[in-house]
Amino acid sequence: MDSDEEAYILLLLSDGNLPTGSFVASAGLESYATHGFLSPLPEQKGKDKVACLVDFIRNSLSTYARNSLPFVHDAMRVVQQIIDGTSSDESGWLDRALQDLSALDDLYETMTLNHVSRRASKSQGVALLTLYSKGFSKPRSSIPREDIRQHRISTLVDKFKLMIRREDTHGHLPVCWGVLTGSLGLSLERSQFLHLFLHARSLLSAAVRMNTIGPYASQQLLLHTVRPLVFSEAKNCSHLCTGLRVSLPGQHSEIDEDSRFDEDVLESQGPAMTWPLGEILAGRHDLQHSRIFNS
Amino acid sequence: MSDEAPSPSKLAPGVGHIGVARHGHQAILSELSYAYPLKLLSTIVHQEGTAVVYMLTYGGGLVGGDNIELSATVQPEATLVLLTQGSTKVFKNRHGQRRLANSRLNSSNDMTKQSLVVEVSSHGALFLLPDPVTCFRAAKYSQRQVLKLDSTASVVLLDWITSGRKSLGEYWSFSRYSSLNEIWINGKRVARDMLLLEERNETVSGTHLETLGGSLAPYSCYATVLLYGPILEHTLHTLAARYNTITVFKKASRPKIIWSFSSLCDERGGILRVAGEEAEDVRHWLGETFKSLEDVIGIDTYRRTFG
Repeated sequence: MDSDEEAYILLLLSDGNLPTGSFVASAGLESYATHGFLSPLPEQKGKDKVACLVDFIRNSLSTYARNSLPFVHDAMRVVQQIIDGTSSDESGWLDRALQDLSALDDLYETMTLNHVSRRASKSQGVALLTLYSKGFSKPRSSIPREDIRQHRISTLVDKFKLMIRREDTHGHLPVCWGVLTGSLGLSLERSQFLHLFLHARSLLSAAVRMNTIGPYASQQLLLHTVRPLVFSEAKNCSHLCTGLRVSLPGQHSEIDEDSRFDEDVLESQGPAMTWPLGEILAGRHDLQHSRIFNS
Repeated sequence: MSDEAPSPSKLAPGVGHIGVARHGHQAILSELSYAYPLKLLSTIVHQEGTAVVYMLTYGGGLVGGDNIELSATVQPEATLVLLTQGSTKVFKNRHGQRRLANSRLNSSNDMTKQSLVVEVSSHGALFLLPDPVTCFRAAKYSQRQVLKLDSTASVVLLDWITSGRKSLGEYWSFSRYSSLNEIWINGKRVARDMLLLEERNETVSGTHLETLGGSLAPYSCYATVLLYGPILEHTLHTLAARYNTITVFKKASRPKIIWSFSSLCDERGGILRVAGEEAEDVRHWLGETFKSLEDVIGIDTYRRTFG
């Protein structure tokens, strides 16, 4: 994909009106505000509400990047594998890719231990796949028969969506994001960066809806204060992965469930939560007396 | 010591094994072996089918390069309680002993590691109730607790950390801390809780940012409790009910203690997280919350942990 094409896709994906459901998510910000965390501590003289908001964004980006980018990394790798698969008559590619994706999805489920974050992640994940199949994919009839790549991608997304609907898998956001951006042909670097940018932007939109800051301040923060944070977290976590052993063509026997992941890689380069306070506050979302967001 | 190849009968440094089996009304330790710097101590308790083992380290702390690898097997219907005596203190290195303690140091790695793997058979139980870990300034520490359970087994896993030595002005000023808790049931991973706390760059592109301590303020103790199994059914039910009755109105300042609870595994398990301004507040809160464990692990053991 040349850079003009990639830029076009980036513009499409960063459209604030995309129906991805992110506008109902605050990723714990609303709970953070309700629990008094936008008020600086007594010893933090000179600090204001906006500085506390920036702290939240930074901590949220840091923990989200560390937790989710390894999944984006590996989900894209799975999609890449089927796009690169050269032999058109080779069967079994679909089952292998679906097995790999649901292994990633399972791991994300076991690592997302609060019910509020799980719920938010699943609803946004499935929305992304719906966006792809309804909004971004070419109509089947217009895909040339010889375009195996496009056919495979459409089939993969449809089947994965069906698995989610049947509750055979969870459809978590980072996995679905990897599938979506992999299918659109974005580079790994762009995809990860955009994922974090959208996370930061949706936090700022939530702050505007909560009336913590105004719309101009939000743009100003996004451009100046938040930009370096997105860059640095994307860079820090770009190399991380889950240690998933991607199924290769010719591997007929199913991979043993116990060894789907290289546990040493998973432990040393894998996802982790870096902000336990945010985790507690996110888990307390539903306890708020009044709330405008779902997470 | 480190130059000698370990003979088959000799354990590598820091390695230990515990085996617990049920014999009539009693639990017997079919195995209890360990090697320096790890020390295991069992105490006699009168609780039915229960063995209590203390995990100790020489000098009451761990230094960079220490590597503890403990494994335990809990046979059907037996209960193992694992405790420590006082908090696990992690030093960057022991003052003045760096050279002397060479045998304990892996020169290429100043990380301190602890690993605990426990298998629990049918109707067995594990209560892992250590005191909190305290990492001192610049320490690097990594621990993992992997529990492999039968679906009828029960477990309480407590994992907690404090912010350092207050008297020395330490507040989350270690270099790196990671803790991994995993629960596998009948060979399937059902929960993986991986916490990573690292010192941070305080400026990114000229912007001044929070320290690690800032992101965890005003709390100086964080605890995670994983629960699973039939013995905990009532406790889990009570916790969930209590949690769901909380209503939070807008607060002007941060609460002194804060907790969250999520059910796992179709309510057969759960995860509890607690943060408190003082470690003793958290200990007290946990003690109140787990009062029902008195009958399960025995009042003496309960008091040693939460008293």
